[in-house]
Amino acid sequence: MALWGMVIDLDRCTGCQACVMACKAENNVPAVGAKEAVRGRIISWMQVLTEEDEEHPGEVKRFLPRPCLQCDDPPCTKVCPVYATYRDPDGIVAQIYARCIGCRFCMAACPYNAKYFNWYRYQKEAPGQNPDVSVRPKGVVEKCTFCHHRLQKARERALAERREVAPGEYVPACAEACPARAIIFGDLSDPGSEVFRLARSPRAFRLLEQLGTKPKVIYLTEGEGRG
Amino acid sequence: MKWLAVLGVVVVALLTWGFWWVEPAVKQPIEYPHKIHVEQLKLPCTSCHQRVEKEAVAGRPPTALCLACHSGGETESNEVKKIRAFGEKGQEIPWKRVWRLPPHVFFPHRTHVVVAKLNCQTCHGAMETLDRPPARALKTLTMNDCIGCHEQWEGPKEKGTGVVKVAARRVSTDCNACHR
Repeated sequence: MALWGMVIDLDRCTGCQACVMACKAENNVPAVGAKEAVRGRIISWMQVLTEEDEEHPGEVKRFLPRPCLQCDDPPCTKVCPVYATYRDPDGIVAQIYARCIGCRFCMAACPYNAKYFNWYRYQKEAPGQNPDVSVRPKGVVEKCTFCHHRLQKARERALAERREVAPGEYVPACAEACPARAIIFGDLSDPGSEVFRLARSPRAFRLLEQLGTKPKVIYLTEGEGRG
Repeated sequence: MKWLAVLGVVVVALLTWGFWWVEPAVKQPIEYPHKIHVEQLKLPCTSCHQRVEKEAVAGRPPTALCLACHSGGETESNEVKKIRAFGEKGQEIPWKRVWRLPPHVFFPHRTHVVVAKLNCQTCHGAMETLDRPPARALKTLTMNDCIGCHEQWEGPKEKGTGVVKVAARRVSTDCNACHR
């Protein structure tokens, strides 16, 4: 079993938001409208968090792209009363919309605010959407799934051709879209993969590591060149 | 008393709203008889539903495929004339979809037909007995039908390469394997 993970090099991130838009297009993430946005209900599976650089206020902004961190020990799955969110055998934290009852416990449990609630039916099925991703109904929680539908398709292809899923065959939309190659995706359990090597870099850190959630999205700090 | 009865009917109708809903009948552009093609001519399903072994979706046959057999000679059949009319106008036959899975289900036909070697009838019912196109799906599938198979499925007895073993492992009842 693979252990899918992502490395995000903050030194390379320019904050261009290409990953955010690629994610929205790929996963049929709805635009909630101005009224809902004011109430803090914007849905954005991938979000570029910004921070003012404390050494250079007003001059330098720091960026941190934040998908679902796909914790290996996820706090959100432990509170789900209906097994709608759980860690699947490949390490991806799944979100099964058909099971979700909309209690939002998982949203409260997630320390990274990576989960979003559909307060209304924000969109209907329409031409132009990605047919590989279902449109979420009203009253369910959704989040980044590491573009898990792409894994389903890659697996299906590999199985029909009687082989294993090749490295690089399954890449989420954000990693594919990043023009600076700041987002690198791969199998953390494969010693030959780039993510395996980068995850062991001295620059590597995990968000809120002290909580023990063991995120599989690993960041590389900004290096010497910053500022 | 009369009003009470009317009120009663309205209340019952409201309470059971949705229960009486029946899928609307599908009317296909061609009165295609599966029986003649499958039972009498012994054509396999894949001769017309060609994408079934190549893609996730089985697909319905393009006009050119029908005309490959039905283009030559005199015909008395109105249906064949209709196919030829579509062909002459260069149009695809506007087949309507009958079987639909919910959009949150990932169901690849290729895996089930090529790798698992399931019969089409397992899910689609006895299509070969139909003289005319079905107005509704012959079987209403629920998740129990999927799980029922996936829980007890054993891989086809192929000469054991490693990948086939992997295939067997992938017949999983993990939610994320099919839900999307």
